[in-house]
Amino acid sequence: MPGNTVSSSRDRRPVFLNLAQIALPVGALASIAHRVAGVLLAIGIPLGVYALDLSLQGPQGFARMAAALEGLPSRAAVVVMAWALAHHLLAGVRHLLMDIDVGSRLPEARRSAWMVNAAGLAVALLAAVTTW
Amino acid sequence: MVKRGPSGWLAWIVQRASALYMLAFLVAGLLWFLVDPPGSHPAWRARMAGAGTGIATAAFFAALLAHAWVGLRDVVLDYVRPRSLCGPVLAGLGLGLVAVAAWVLRILVMVRA
Amino acid sequence: MRLSIFRFDPDRDERPYMQDFEIALAPTDRMLLDAILRIRTLDDSLAVRKSCREGVCGSDAMNINGRNGLACVTPVAGLAEPVVLRPLPGFPVIRDLVVDMTRFFAQYDSIKPYLQNDEPPTGKERLQSPRDRARLDGLYECILCACCTSQCPSYWWNPEKFVGPAGLLQACRFIVDSRDRATAQRLDDLDDAYRLFRCRTIMNCTEVCPKGLAPSRAIEAIRSAMTRRPR
Repeated sequence: MPGNTVSSSRDRRPVFLNLAQIALPVGALASIAHRVAGVLLAIGIPLGVYALDLSLQGPQGFARMAAALEGLPSRAAVVVMAWALAHHLLAGVRHLLMDIDVGSRLPEARRSAWMVNAAGLAVALLAAVTTW
Repeated sequence: MVKRGPSGWLAWIVQRASALYMLAFLVAGLLWFLVDPPGSHPAWRARMAGAGTGIATAAFFAALLAHAWVGLRDVVLDYVRPRSLCGPVLAGLGLGLVAVAAWVLRILVMVRA
Repeated sequence: MRLSIFRFDPDRDERPYMQDFEIALAPTDRMLLDAILRIRTLDDSLAVRKSCREGVCGSDAMNINGRNGLACVTPVAGLAEPVVLRPLPGFPVIRDLVVDMTRFFAQYDSIKPYLQNDEPPTGKERLQSPRDRARLDGLYECILCACCTSQCPSYWWNPEKFVGPAGLLQACRFIVDSRDRATAQRLDDLDDAYRLFRCRTIMNCTEVCPKGLAPSRAIEAIRSAMTRRPR
């Protein structure tokens, strides 16, 4: 531009990063679910320790813990935590195996990611059915 | 684009080693509960009061908290902006995990009382 | 064929927009690059990098229906329409499908992509057995197209600190090269919280590499090398 000694176009470089428009391969789904599950489990740590504390305090503590798990919100939370533990554990095992070069080639990695995703949901379904 | 700060490899090894121990503990624990379930509350307390169980459980929680630290730290380093917030957030998380460790220690000691 | 293409001209546009095209392909238009060049005969304002047209220069890397690839080796047949073309994710857009590759190349430079060996060579060349040469297979073929690095979420979140799949694959190429003597320094240089260890083995990189390479496996190999080295 005449009279303009500093190029301004460099400041106006947009970036395409709309996640809704970017592909999510099966491994990426397994990975983000692994992270979400991990964060959920981390939030669950104090709750789990509290449950352990109650369960060891005496029969009343134990009964209180059992009673707290009766309501629908608690049962829903148990199902979510069951999914979180199952997915995080299975996805973690998948990572440990890939660390020693087992299943780290693309076709095998896609298959194992699909299996981990499905197994996590299966465990959640099982938890839902057994706590019904 | 130069290397800065503490070793990433050490954190990665801690994450993997703690995962392996927890996996072994959970599998062993699950088997023990399925094969020989504690029938009553006193039986449950007695089981948790055993010296071997106590040490193994303490080690499990040490592994759990170390594993959670590495994982949560990764989440913070990936997403938290502005970067100046990373330090305080990590400090808060660290404090929380240490508090849980103290709580677990207290539970495991009290059950033997 | 219907396409929807990302447009942005810094001299004219406030913000990017998508432009729809409908073109008749000639029978010889087999690859996506052919379709793009045919569009340019109607609208030559569309900016795109291209050169070799055979998948070895890496110029025409772009996001095709959500997944990065090289336009010149992506067959037109089998593409879901409208074919959505966008620039490589996360990279600053200079114009239309042309992105700023500066930081990508800076990360590559930072891993010192050259043999480091101060020993005097015995004879005319530094000899390498066929077996040692084979260890470079799957690593040397990288064309630095940036399909992998721009599909990596870890790189999106930390592009100035995480080296990225392409840079790390090249780091591995020099780490395993029997003629290089700087292995310890190379491993040490990658050992902080960011340069290598942002990698979560998401494997988007290996999914999209147009040369069929596996940066995720190369990164695993570097972690193994770090674990095995004497302390």
